[in-house]
Amino acid sequence: MRRIIIRRLLQIIPLILGVIVLNFMLIHLAPGSLFDVMTSEQQVTDPAMLDQLRHTYGVDQPTSVQLAKYIWSVMRLDLGFSYRQNAPVLDVILEQLPSTVILMLSATGIALLVGITAGVLASVKVNTIWDNLISLGAVFFFAAPSFWLGIMMTVLFAVKLGWFPVGGMRTIGSDQGTFGDALDVMHHLVLPATALGLFYAATYARVMRASMLEVFRLDFVRTARAKGLSRSRVVISHVMRNALLPIVTLLGLQLGTILGGSVVIEAVFSWPGIGSLLFDSVMSRNFPMVLGVLVLGSLLVAVSNAAVDLIYLRLDPRIRAR
Amino acid sequence: MLSLTIDFARRFARNRAALVGFALVILVIGVALAAPWLFPRNPLRIVGKPEIWPFVSSRYPLGTDSLGRDIAAMIAYGARTTLLIGVCASLTATIIGISVGATAAYFGGWVDELLMRFTELFQTIPNLIFVLTIVAILGQKIEYVTIAVGIVTWTPIARLTRAEFMSLRDREFVQACRAMGMGNLRIMFGEILPNALPPVIVLSSLVIAGAVLFESAVSFLGLGDPNVSSWGRLIGDGRTLIRSSWYICAVPGLAIMLTVLALNLVGDGLNDALNPKLRDR
Repeated sequence: MRRIIIRRLLQIIPLILGVIVLNFMLIHLAPGSLFDVMTSEQQVTDPAMLDQLRHTYGVDQPTSVQLAKYIWSVMRLDLGFSYRQNAPVLDVILEQLPSTVILMLSATGIALLVGITAGVLASVKVNTIWDNLISLGAVFFFAAPSFWLGIMMTVLFAVKLGWFPVGGMRTIGSDQGTFGDALDVMHHLVLPATALGLFYAATYARVMRASMLEVFRLDFVRTARAKGLSRSRVVISHVMRNALLPIVTLLGLQLGTILGGSVVIEAVFSWPGIGSLLFDSVMSRNFPMVLGVLVLGSLLVAVSNAAVDLIYLRLDPRIRAR
Repeated sequence: MLSLTIDFARRFARNRAALVGFALVILVIGVALAAPWLFPRNPLRIVGKPEIWPFVSSRYPLGTDSLGRDIAAMIAYGARTTLLIGVCASLTATIIGISVGATAAYFGGWVDELLMRFTELFQTIPNLIFVLTIVAILGQKIEYVTIAVGIVTWTPIARLTRAEFMSLRDREFVQACRAMGMGNLRIMFGEILPNALPPVIVLSSLVIAGAVLFESAVSFLGLGDPNVSSWGRLIGDGRTLIRSSWYICAVPGLAIMLTVLALNLVGDGLNDALNPKLRDR
């Protein structure tokens, strides 16, 4: 078991190396020299400073040396310096990371809760009005852009009804202690997390329904029923447990998309996370920051993917046996 | 061949949801094609008073935006942009996906290992962040947005093509081709690919729907091509006015949702019609 875990974690390394090389290629793909753009956008004009930067970025050296240097610096977690925030790129990103993680986790939580409940309900009441309504809802939420859903929810629940704040993460100027602060953040979190989560809830509902129906037909379910177990007991501890496996796979595959989706949702709700940071950096052409977000975002997804795989291993003993 | 097509059409038509989707797709294509005829002048031009609500003025059935531009005209031209980017991005993704998947499965061994790691790499990179990075570096042009969306959506196509190729590559007809001395490329694309294509086409049609959503997000953030009308940008422009005129956001959003919905329904219908075995599940 331990060896499997270590092997799975080691697989992350080539992936991250790949991302770094891709990053490097993107820098060289840019029309004109990215270095010129970078320095002019960040208003570095002092010749001595320019020379120093040219040396730090190794612009005066051959491409292969530049690549090696770039890999080495990223490995040492040196993602460059952002003149806009006047701080190392890594520090700025790490400062914003928790809010994005909170948003992602809440959205995933909502998606799992709503999606699995809807999927189980639809499969238990298959071909009834409930099943049809849930399928219809899933089709709609699967097609609605999350940012648009967010805006429409803001119009209804924040502007018209006034139940939730329009945006931000905290009420400005409020001091309610740790508990009050947590409640305040949760209050701000409801709309963005729901807007982001509903798309995935729709996916999970569809997959869960299909997967439940599949498992229902298997022999062991009939055995469990024949043993005299109640229907709810069979559904919850026998069928659901097995039907959840595809959801776990999907969750792993979609982490990158959820992170990407939170970029747009953060822009809609002025949520102060990596998404807002990326958006501002793209707008101000702050490339070290943009590339830093790309590398760290990929690392986050790679690590979470490995974690999901290990969860899968726990859930499904058949894989462990291989 | 003709009877096969008729059979396929009959199976597709049995799925009512797919038919509704098909009708909607035809409608969107119709609007996109008819746009220059319906609205002969530049859709981004100011035509009347700002913020006229939909269904109020007969001249502007969908109202006007904050600058006084006709929303109906922008929606019609936006359909062109959306469909163009969606279809081209899906084509890009399909070409990359088929090339990678086919090569990996056909040659196997270290080629397969390498290409699958490469695919995994693109699955790991958060896709929207990657699209924004490419657009930020290359510039806000419709071509770059299309290519960027294609680059982040090819991985499922590669995996599916690989799986299909795997099941076909050792069949007798392929061995016969080898024995005849046919070249690898000819066997891959002339012999195996036509047999592997149907499920790949279904997936490509679903990728169009995803590409439409990506494009809308990019232009919503204001990173799309500023010179073309786009549904996402319309929402982005209308965002500041949600207190007074929320319809400016609502209308293009509905257009995106219905288009994506229609494409998804058609994709599901194609899937059912092409894989009759799965249909009864």
